[in-house]
Amino acid sequence: MFELNEFILKKAEELGFGDVVVLGYETDRRQVRFANNEITVAKNWHERKVELFVELEKRIASTTITELSEENIERTLKTLLANMKGMAPKEDYYGIAEGPFEYRNIPETFDRAIVELDEPNDYVETAINTALSEGAKRVAGVLYTDHDRVYLTTSNGVEAFDEGTGIEISVRAFVGDLESGHGTNSARVLKRFDPESAGRKAGEIAHMARDPVQGPEGRFDVIFDPLAFANLLSYMSFMTSAYAAEAGFSFLVNKLGQKVASEIVTIKDVGNMPNGYGSRKFDDEGVPTRETTIIEKGTFKTFLLNTSLARKYGTETTANAGLIMPHAWNIVLEPGDYSKAELFSEVKRGIYITNVWYTRFQNYVTGDFSTIPRDGIFLIENGELRPIRNIRVSDNLQRILEGIKALGKESHHIHWWEVSTPVSTPYVLVEDVGITRATK
Amino acid sequence: MDVLEFAVEKALELGASYAEARFEEKNGTSLAIKNGNPEGLQVLADRGIGVRVLVDGGMGFASTNVLTRESVSEAVRKAVKLARAASKVRNKPIRFSDEDFHRVSYKVKMKKDFRDVSPEEKLELLKKIEEEVKATGVNVPMRYLMYSDQLWKKEILTSEGAYVKSKIPRVSVTYNLVVFENGQMEQAPFVQRAFSGGLELIERDEPWKWAVKDAQALKRLIYEGKRPPEGKIDLVISPEVAGIAVHESVGHPYEADRIFGREAAQAGESFVKPNMLGERIGSEVVTVIDDPTIPNSWGFYLYDDEGVKARPRYLIRDGIITEFLTNREYAYKLGQRSNASARAINYNREPIVRMANTYLAPGDYSFEELIEDVKLGVYMVSFNEWNIDDRRYQQRYIGREAYLIENGELKHPVRRPILEITTRALWSSVDAVGKEVEFYPGTCGKGEPGQGVPVWMGGAHARLREVPLRRP
Repeated sequence: MFELNEFILKKAEELGFGDVVVLGYETDRRQVRFANNEITVAKNWHERKVELFVELEKRIASTTITELSEENIERTLKTLLANMKGMAPKEDYYGIAEGPFEYRNIPETFDRAIVELDEPNDYVETAINTALSEGAKRVAGVLYTDHDRVYLTTSNGVEAFDEGTGIEISVRAFVGDLESGHGTNSARVLKRFDPESAGRKAGEIAHMARDPVQGPEGRFDVIFDPLAFANLLSYMSFMTSAYAAEAGFSFLVNKLGQKVASEIVTIKDVGNMPNGYGSRKFDDEGVPTRETTIIEKGTFKTFLLNTSLARKYGTETTANAGLIMPHAWNIVLEPGDYSKAELFSEVKRGIYITNVWYTRFQNYVTGDFSTIPRDGIFLIENGELRPIRNIRVSDNLQRILEGIKALGKESHHIHWWEVSTPVSTPYVLVEDVGITRATK
Repeated sequence: MDVLEFAVEKALELGASYAEARFEEKNGTSLAIKNGNPEGLQVLADRGIGVRVLVDGGMGFASTNVLTRESVSEAVRKAVKLARAASKVRNKPIRFSDEDFHRVSYKVKMKKDFRDVSPEEKLELLKKIEEEVKATGVNVPMRYLMYSDQLWKKEILTSEGAYVKSKIPRVSVTYNLVVFENGQMEQAPFVQRAFSGGLELIERDEPWKWAVKDAQALKRLIYEGKRPPEGKIDLVISPEVAGIAVHESVGHPYEADRIFGREAAQAGESFVKPNMLGERIGSEVVTVIDDPTIPNSWGFYLYDDEGVKARPRYLIRDGIITEFLTNREYAYKLGQRSNASARAINYNREPIVRMANTYLAPGDYSFEELIEDVKLGVYMVSFNEWNIDDRRYQQRYIGREAYLIENGELKHPVRRPILEITTRALWSSVDAVGKEVEFYPGTCGKGEPGQGVPVWMGGAHARLREVPLRRP
């Protein structure tokens, strides 16, 4: 693939483009979907493509080339050139990183056993059977295996390669219409993959959630399961991009250096996390990925940046390119020192929320939002859990971060349909969370 | 066509009882302006082939964007192998309903073909929004504007004789405006205007007028907005709010794959059960239709991705549940014919049950008649935050632009009126519906991996009596 990258770079330079980034991908992805304890469909994707970014006197353009013949590549470059000539320049464009760079292997991000895995259906059956053995009646979910190769070449001297694998499962178990539980497991190497734990958790919660009663409304201390809190942090990860802030989609606008969370809150982006589902050796400009502290002990330290946005604000890139939009790799909420039992014993009367979905904002800049608990929800009273249903978290994202009172000591890595940016988070106790419900 | 025939024949040779091959090609451009700065041009040129098969009652799907015979052959082989392995983890084999199939070709014409228009001219559309918003004098410090066009070409061939070739152009403009006045901030995020057809549709729609209306309404809300009334009051919802409500609480729960639990893991289940056909869910004035065939609609198609001819689907007629959205798999389970709701967003996705253009059918009230006997109420014009549980029963919509209704007259704006209500209560509360239907575009999320499909949502104004309105 590097020969193709070189060809594209050479042709782009001949045509007079300035900054050029060529990102070649070869991906093989497999999926098994299941519902009602049986497989509904199994899929396979094979893709070869090049993402191309070009700059011409501060005019920028990008495209994805999937038909990789030399004729089509030349035609595409000429089309881009013709279209860009009359365009207005992007005045706040400040270039891409200067390479070359040195890269280190990230432990536990590639496993040949996943590439060579012939048949993942056994893992699906394991997850289904574990959930059923915990008392579930119906089990649904999805399993993926991934094998990705990335080839990066830039006009600033970068040539970089990364190869990664992954396997993950998301399991939802049901006892009746109103009783369900959810568990996930994501790993980059086969020996770390544990579909049984996902099935067990889904089954356990569904079983515990039997015969729920209508939940209360008001303000409550809430324990968020890692699955639930990962959803909120995944939405927040988008808001940490400097691009999102400029476009009016972030409650962190104008808050650099300010306190935006409780003092026990430290949130990082870790691009080079071992066994992290979002880990990659380099960003889209070739800068080696790293750990970046976004919120340190409650204080907002930095937006996530690429080189151009960093230069615009007089600082250094955080290795989060996205050439147009910087983005997080793996969001990490640093754990605290509470065991799960200690965390629950902190709550005299409160609510335990195991999962949320459909998080939507009234106003991104203020951070006002609501989200719906799904799967088991429990009223915590004097150390006992009683299943409830039909409530909604209606609050403000910054207020939630400020209200964090205690953190569990074990971190869980979450990645699924509702958490597209992977998140590592412990159990989280937040005080005075707004809870509403429909009254008709 | 050759490669599709090759794929279908190959699948049958390898043991498939059903095979479907779909070629899709999408070409287009998108442009953005952020706070006055052009953010660059994105050119889309994507194409590939997807193959779906049934083998021994198991379903397999594979896709590739490498269109050589070897690569397509490999994709077919994988789809068949996956289907065969999947069949072993099934209780009952998957069967499809019998349908009439056609060999057809159709396209949506463009009066102003966006392929003939330069990016700088398209950028002018966004600059016009910038200028018109600035000319209002409203302080809008954050402005994100996006233009996008795409020509979707598709060919579908199935082993049961369907062949459908289509060409549908799609154009859209999206904006996010943050208004900052008097130390307060209000926002109109992800507002979209979108059509199937040529650039003339965007020009005729004048998205800058929508942006100006939003900016002015938010400014007025900041200076004149008061707390909304609370408790059981009357609520008049606009076509835009009626649209999101029918989409979330009628369209989604009537998707047969949800009803039968296939979507249980991610996009959720449904409070609707197969035996609820014929059951009352709303008042007699409530009729909800999903119609893919509306000309120039954002959710337009004439044949679905299983080759079945599309038609309007009456989900609720006069308050009674009358029809679910089905593909062939779930039509078979229901003992029915498919109503052509199978859609895939691209060659690399399986067709699943989806909405197209869902709307609350008109009644016979003028807007004045809807509000004239409301003593105390709220008129909700547009919304920001909304969500619904995964059985599609407990929902919430928060007004962006909204006004007090007092003694039959519209008064001052009100801030963030909240409707949090169950589906049955919502549709049972409607006592009158307006005469005029309007549509609003959206991207409907479902599937794993996600398939955001273009849909219109809309309908007529509707009056809800004595619903529990809350405030923040």
